[in-house]
Amino acid sequence: MKKRITLIGAFCFIVTLAYYAISCRSQQTVDFSTQVKPILNKKCISCHGGVKKQGGFSLLFEEEAKAKLKSGNYAIVPGDVSKSQLISRLTLSDPEERMPYKHDPLGKEEIEILTNWVKEGAKWGEHWAYKSVEKQEIPQTGSDWAKNDIDRFVFEKAESEGLKVSAEAKPEVLARRVALDIIGFPAPDSIKNAYLQNPTEGNYEKMVDQLLASPHYGEKWAAMWLDLARYADTKGYERDDVRSIWYYRDWLIKAFNADMPYNQFITEQLAGDLLPNPTEDQYIATAFHRNTMTNDEGGTDNEEFRVAAVIDRVNTTWETLMGTTFACVQCHSHPYDPFRHEDYYRFMAYFNNTRDADTFADYPLIRHFNSDQKEQLNRLSNALNNTPEKERIIHFIKTLQPALNSLETDSFINSELSDTKWLAMRNNSSARIPDFDLNGVNALIFRLRSGLKKGFLLFHLDKPDGEIIGKFTITKPSDGWENKEISILNQTGRHDIYLTFASSELADPMKTGITFDWFHFTKNFPKEVNQSAKNDFWELVNAKTETTPILLDNTPEMSRETHVFERGSWLSKGTLVKAGVPASLNSMPKNAPENRLGLANWMTDKNNPLVSRTLVNRLFEQLWGIGLVETLEDMGTQGLNPSNQALLDHLSWKFMNDYNWSIKKLLKEMVMSAAYRQDSKVNREQLEKDPVNRFMARGPRVRLSAEQVRDQVLMACGKMNTEMYGPSVMPYQPDGVWDSPYSGVKWIKSEGNEQYRRAIYTYWKRTSPYPSMINFDMVGREVCSSRRIRTNTPLQALTTLNDSVYIDLSAKMVDLVGFQKPNENISKVYSLLTGKKINVERAAALKELFDNSLKVYQKKKEKIPERQAMILVANAILNLDEVITKS
Amino acid sequence: MSKRLEDIAKEAMHLKLMQNTRRNFLKESFLGLGGLALGSFLNSCGNSTDFKNEIAFDPANPMAARPPQFAPKARSVIYLHMAGAPSQLELFDYKPDLDKLDGLDCPQSFLEGKKFAFIRGVPKMLASTGKFKQHGESGAWISNYLPHLQTVADEVSFIKSVTTDQFNHAPAQLLMHTGSARLGRPSMGSWVTYGLGTENSDLPGFVVLTSGGNNPDAGKSVWGSGFLPSVYQGVQCRSVGDPVLFLQDPENVTRDLRKASIEAINKVNQEEYKEYGDPETLSRISQYEMAYRMQMSVPEVMNINDEPAYIHEMYGTKPGKASFANNALLARKLVEKGVRFVQLFDWGWDTHGTSEDGSIDVGLMNKCRETDKAATALLLDLKQRGLLEDTLVVWGGEFGRTPMAENREGKPNAFKGRDHHAEAFTMWMAGGGIKKGFSHGETDEIGYTVTQGKVNPHDIQATILNQMGYDHEKFTYDFQGRPFRLTDVEGKVIREVLA
Repeated sequence: MKKRITLIGAFCFIVTLAYYAISCRSQQTVDFSTQVKPILNKKCISCHGGVKKQGGFSLLFEEEAKAKLKSGNYAIVPGDVSKSQLISRLTLSDPEERMPYKHDPLGKEEIEILTNWVKEGAKWGEHWAYKSVEKQEIPQTGSDWAKNDIDRFVFEKAESEGLKVSAEAKPEVLARRVALDIIGFPAPDSIKNAYLQNPTEGNYEKMVDQLLASPHYGEKWAAMWLDLARYADTKGYERDDVRSIWYYRDWLIKAFNADMPYNQFITEQLAGDLLPNPTEDQYIATAFHRNTMTNDEGGTDNEEFRVAAVIDRVNTTWETLMGTTFACVQCHSHPYDPFRHEDYYRFMAYFNNTRDADTFADYPLIRHFNSDQKEQLNRLSNALNNTPEKERIIHFIKTLQPALNSLETDSFINSELSDTKWLAMRNNSSARIPDFDLNGVNALIFRLRSGLKKGFLLFHLDKPDGEIIGKFTITKPSDGWENKEISILNQTGRHDIYLTFASSELADPMKTGITFDWFHFTKNFPKEVNQSAKNDFWELVNAKTETTPILLDNTPEMSRETHVFERGSWLSKGTLVKAGVPASLNSMPKNAPENRLGLANWMTDKNNPLVSRTLVNRLFEQLWGIGLVETLEDMGTQGLNPSNQALLDHLSWKFMNDYNWSIKKLLKEMVMSAAYRQDSKVNREQLEKDPVNRFMARGPRVRLSAEQVRDQVLMACGKMNTEMYGPSVMPYQPDGVWDSPYSGVKWIKSEGNEQYRRAIYTYWKRTSPYPSMINFDMVGREVCSSRRIRTNTPLQALTTLNDSVYIDLSAKMVDLVGFQKPNENISKVYSLLTGKKINVERAAALKELFDNSLKVYQKKKEKIPERQAMILVANAILNLDEVITKS
Repeated sequence: MSKRLEDIAKEAMHLKLMQNTRRNFLKESFLGLGGLALGSFLNSCGNSTDFKNEIAFDPANPMAARPPQFAPKARSVIYLHMAGAPSQLELFDYKPDLDKLDGLDCPQSFLEGKKFAFIRGVPKMLASTGKFKQHGESGAWISNYLPHLQTVADEVSFIKSVTTDQFNHAPAQLLMHTGSARLGRPSMGSWVTYGLGTENSDLPGFVVLTSGGNNPDAGKSVWGSGFLPSVYQGVQCRSVGDPVLFLQDPENVTRDLRKASIEAINKVNQEEYKEYGDPETLSRISQYEMAYRMQMSVPEVMNINDEPAYIHEMYGTKPGKASFANNALLARKLVEKGVRFVQLFDWGWDTHGTSEDGSIDVGLMNKCRETDKAATALLLDLKQRGLLEDTLVVWGGEFGRTPMAENREGKPNAFKGRDHHAEAFTMWMAGGGIKKGFSHGETDEIGYTVTQGKVNPHDIQATILNQMGYDHEKFTYDFQGRPFRLTDVEGKVIREVLA
């Protein structure tokens, strides 16, 4: 089924077209992908596909479809219609025998297509999106209108759809459009004035170049990626507690601004931690997949939510980077696309070996050191230069990994996992760290919290009363969580380690004496290194730093296996699988490592059919409000067909080859095209033939995004705080919106200039998102979301009419333009928000509002009635359709 | 069928004929603005059967009333969710055998292979603190915790055999309301408004009211729209501050001024439409008009001051407070005005026994005192207005509670309390085509597992959708390339409780 929120009219049109296309084509060879597959998907595959295989017959894969049936017959005998049950069973009169079973018979044309297809040899085809991108031939049409190759494709398509392309939009309209698209708000005069005064080709290009070079470009485009990355400032679920992950948001902004090649952009996010000597930024990039939710609710099974996060990473990787729905395959072979059940788990195996385990602290983390600490780290690093331990020690300081979470302990006696988060021990208690490889271990660093002044903690080998291999004595209460070190007697092989704890201070046998967070089995700090290096080491280990959750793989000691989950349930584990990619797509590049880095190599290989097409499609959707493939989330056989596949493939090829994965170059080509620069006025004929502008015979006209609605007004009234980066801010939000249980976290309104930051810096709480942005179709960021469905509702009107933010900004607008010369002032506000000169009718309507409200305010004896009246008018202007819309 | 239902059915037929889609909207716009004829190809595909499971959702008018798949039994739902999970053993599921086991160690056989949120090791069995009697002609067992509900036992169908597969609050609440334990799916109310739109465009179609001081554990996601367009999310109406966020005009803006400003906005928008011809502009004009009307109608419906004294007495309402009683009365007012789905969340039912407020003898009794009268009044009030027969009222929590006393971290809890229990709990439904004075399903002799008539949250959802005129298996929305439904791949309508 296709997505039906598009206008039904559009469908009718497509259906009609498809019908003609089919009837015209019937003399030619039948095409599997465009003619046969849609019929099979619609009429056959729900009983003969991945989930059900009635009569042992499946139409999902060629070898299945052409195999012998249970009955001994064949469904498809290429070239022989009479022996092909697929055809003969379509027209039987016995309803028990006739297919589709218990459904209406196939239409005449459908039967004809299938029959001809079998007659012609039943050639299996591949869906367009799973074929590698080929270089396209450029149509030689539209030469006087066209400004670049995009236009030749657009012109050809428009012509074939019976549409006439439109003339260029007025400079002031175009300047606003291109600025909204590239930087997210109307351009400052310094960027647009030269073009407006002299709208030449060269000045347009200069303006575009300046916009692309603006640091605000990164902020605009990172916003798109944040929906895909399901970025939020909280962890989700019940407590929905704070998560500090804004370094990732800032990484995105910087990456877009630096025009990081898209293949590198993907690689760093999927596998930055696996690159040689990863930089801090490369670690931060991996936070892409740490935006999954964590459940802090007491009593939850952490493994369950870890599995949920890993599954989310698989689904998000496919949807975000390859525009493909993979989630179905979690439970069964894909009913429509060539992915097998096992493919899902082979793919999941790439992600299933990460250290994260739904812990409260969101481990593993990268620690962000300040410049002094960085210097200290350098000093330590130099001191360790000649030791074999250097790399391990530096890695530990940066990440405090590899650490065994106390959640992994068991065999509790007088001890428990407190709130299913930390190991908590009472007097005379024990607990076990199961089956750990102690080869080469002679030290243990662990993180604990205890309010006691005395107590003994012993580590025993194999039994609660086994040989003591390490001990720790409490002498004073810890300062919150602290990291401590003890020596461990050398051992060989794998062992259970039992912790026992006792304290004479604990009279109450039910009182917890000590709580553990993690254990890091390690080696003693190298003896040959001087004492000051060891001091540096401990200072850095205990340093309080900002952190960001990252991906890190398990050590071989801790590594996980991946099994198929029967019917998708993590509790019923099936066969063991090895990491791999679906056989139906491009093969793994040679020498690609068998980990996430190898996976990134596979995805950014030029033979991968999906990655470049997905990105090109996203860019189109951002500019036009609709993608070349409308279903951004699925280019598979269940998605909508591309409106202009040749154009999609042309740009996808160019993106990889000519542009070397540069997004800025691609974007520039798009906005330089005549197609993009068209006027967005629409006439009845265009509306009938192409109601949603799939064929681009007119310029884009779409409502602004939630971010643009806010940023545009901030910019226009001169209040935008253009500061970049840093923790998210809390602009005004009505009282009482946040009422989360078990959470002391409050919305504390940012003061002064901070409340005027761009929308992208607004604090995002998953269970209680910022209301004014949600009203404008922002998504909740719980899971990956490819597109925001634009709606038009009274709550949107109420937001820009009444939200204190917009009232405040209306007043700021009046502060900027004044209120003494109403006609002038009104036209100024209008042009600040639309970039246009006001016309007589509009000016009259708004002046009338001013006059009427002025009378009311004068009557009410307001202090400065003119100002009040002008604020009301400014607010009305920022509510205009032409302000809320990109024309 | 009541008069109102007949009207709805008629209207549904009419709408079906109208195919109230954007196509039609366009047609009307064109006719309205110059009387242009509609292109012939638009007419040519009005009767395509391929679209029959699809909602004719029109982004330009997303809340337009739409017909269900078949004649409904209910036109509105009021869903009362006791967040935290009330104890079925104290309220409805009478187990004299459990009382005899009080204080004894829980038999190993009950614990093997089981997982609890907080119980560790071997807990003790815990007798019910409720005093049970049968009530009404139907002889429903209701304890002394709910003296008011006892009086309307014959209006209600109890479902004593509800199970879930989630034993933590947030995931269990999500499962109950969105059909999935993870965040990101649309809530039941969103599905229903997506399907049916609303009958009163001056009010939101899906309203949420909370009491008890906190939002539910799963936050606003339990009334979120997930992957459905955000217009279908529940609108939280509040007793304190703006009843709906941003509803109130700013200081200094009188009603007349607001009217003037919207008129000016729309005048300019007409100009814009003349220039650009984008139907979206027309839609915005009507949304601004609707916003203006909503500003009048929401405060009106949210104001309970003018209700007669006997109504206040009946519900136990005190105007100006965020209480369950006030919300129950508001729920009645909202469905009376045509709101499709009203969801009440009352916080504070999580009776672990870690505090007195969270104990089954004191805390739970207090929660019942806060809500019993009002929930009962809601049924009686709906009934006396003839609304009960086509308003489906649902009461429940997200899971049940264990027959064992909780022993958090292996220690006895300070007060009497029970842990989360996914394997058996009680919900009730009334009105909206549900059997009166009926009890469905049974649990074993200590109320630990379901022995008969087992149902799960997807069954509850399937039943609610069924009463609203939807086959839950055919009510889908495409997202991430596949059709999703509220009940995922499960759910059976609980036919036994249907009248």
